[in-house]
Amino acid sequence: MIEFKNVTKLYPNGCIGLQNATFKIEKGEFVFVVGPSGSGKSTLLKLMLREEIPTEGEVYVNEFSIHDMPRREVPYLRRGLGVVFQDFRLLPNKTVYENVAFAMQVVEASPKDIRRQVPVALALVGLSKKAKVYPDQLSGGEQQRVALARAIVNNPSVLIADEPTGNLDPETSWEIMNLLDEINQRGTTVIVATHEKNIVDQMKKRVFNLERGRIIRDVQEGNYTNED
Amino acid sequence: MKIRTMKYMVKEGFVNTYRNLLMSIASVTMVIASLMIFGIFLMLIINFSYNLNRLKAQMEVVVFLENDATQMESANVELKIKNDERVLTYTKITKEQAFAELVTLYLEDTDIIEGLTPDFLSESFRIHLKNVEDSAAFTEDISKLDGVEDVTYPYESLKKLGTVLNWINAGSMAVLTLLLIISVSIIANTIKLTVFARRREIEIMKYIGASDWFIRWPFVIEGVIIGFAGALIAFVLTSYLYNSVESFVNAQTFEYGLSELVKMVSLGNVGGQIFVIYAIIGVVMGSIGSIISVRKHLNV
Repeated sequence: MIEFKNVTKLYPNGCIGLQNATFKIEKGEFVFVVGPSGSGKSTLLKLMLREEIPTEGEVYVNEFSIHDMPRREVPYLRRGLGVVFQDFRLLPNKTVYENVAFAMQVVEASPKDIRRQVPVALALVGLSKKAKVYPDQLSGGEQQRVALARAIVNNPSVLIADEPTGNLDPETSWEIMNLLDEINQRGTTVIVATHEKNIVDQMKKRVFNLERGRIIRDVQEGNYTNED
Repeated sequence: MKIRTMKYMVKEGFVNTYRNLLMSIASVTMVIASLMIFGIFLMLIINFSYNLNRLKAQMEVVVFLENDATQMESANVELKIKNDERVLTYTKITKEQAFAELVTLYLEDTDIIEGLTPDFLSESFRIHLKNVEDSAAFTEDISKLDGVEDVTYPYESLKKLGTVLNWINAGSMAVLTLLLIISVSIIANTIKLTVFARRREIEIMKYIGASDWFIRWPFVIEGVIIGFAGALIAFVLTSYLYNSVESFVNAQTFEYGLSELVKMVSLGNVGGQIFVIYAIIGVVMGSIGSIISVRKHLNV
């Protein structure tokens, strides 16, 4: 469960990240965050990850209060969140399997759990056969699927994706979005910032529309723009 | 922390050190240089204070009675000395013994002491104190007694030597501080290279939810490896250098008949402590250096 109450984020250089945002995302929801570049999509996601701290207002993610949270608790917040980025951010010197296992090593999971869960995550994204391959031998779509496997391997309750298809061709984008939908079907809350108008329009999910730091529209089964 | 996590940290630490081999070697060299310079000061201090203490221990307070002091006065002074808690040992030198000493001293120039009898000399007490620092107070107390002519003690000159020792101490501390700062910043720079090479990894770890210490440990271990390697090599070099200096000094003092006056501490007695000091300084420098260099990257 994620809740924003009158959240404003101003950056030190005077830029407005987010203005007076209030919303609630229930467990198991799928939300698209859309809007032009610089409209505050990334700020919204960064606040959930506590990469940024709100200037004003309150942010709740799972059982954590982001607005007054000691630094030492940040790792525990993030263990409940999976993250995927536009640029995949895989480790080039580790194989696909190792990249996914790394996420479990970092949170000190037992080798037994690692051996059990990594193949499950890889199977879910359809990369079981490429476990021993290095990222640079994979296509962009495959790399993003590895990143997805890494994001979900620790069973987070929320998956946050910041323009996950930004570097991919339309067909591959659909594959990734379908995977996100599948992960959502399994009960994970999914929040996706994106520019993919077609996909947003067809998937009929909840959509936040941002402009200059304001949420100007929040509709269930919405479209990319207002124009309908 | 779990044991397999520890294994992972140590392994990463070694791998990092190896990947940065050239810079690691540069850092180790710097640690060696600082520790060696510090070590030279340290050995100076150890030997200086050792010899100072030896001299102090050899020093005796000598109480001369008046030439015509009565038996009563003499017994009283002896009683006072005997019962004084500051006294370690004392010897009474009678007029006859003093005369005998004089005779042996001038065995070949008997004309100097011709006509002297023991009665010309005074009784005296030679006293070793438990603590040389008490000399002044003790001397003052004894001087007040009836029948005491004079009390001599050699403390003042030793005090000056003590001041010199303090200066050497302060100087070496200043040098050590300066060298530590330089070494720490060089180690920090070395590890910064590793941190930079691994910044993506650190970022990913932060997003996945690794704790700060989980990220920091491999770098701290890298620093510790550098510091410890430096300490080890510095210790070997110091030992070698010290042994050469020791045999040189011993040969020289023997040649000039000063062997009793100046003695160097043998390395066997202090080597262990020196190594521990080196290792602690090296390891602390390494850890501080790496913590400094990771700090910036942890704020994601």
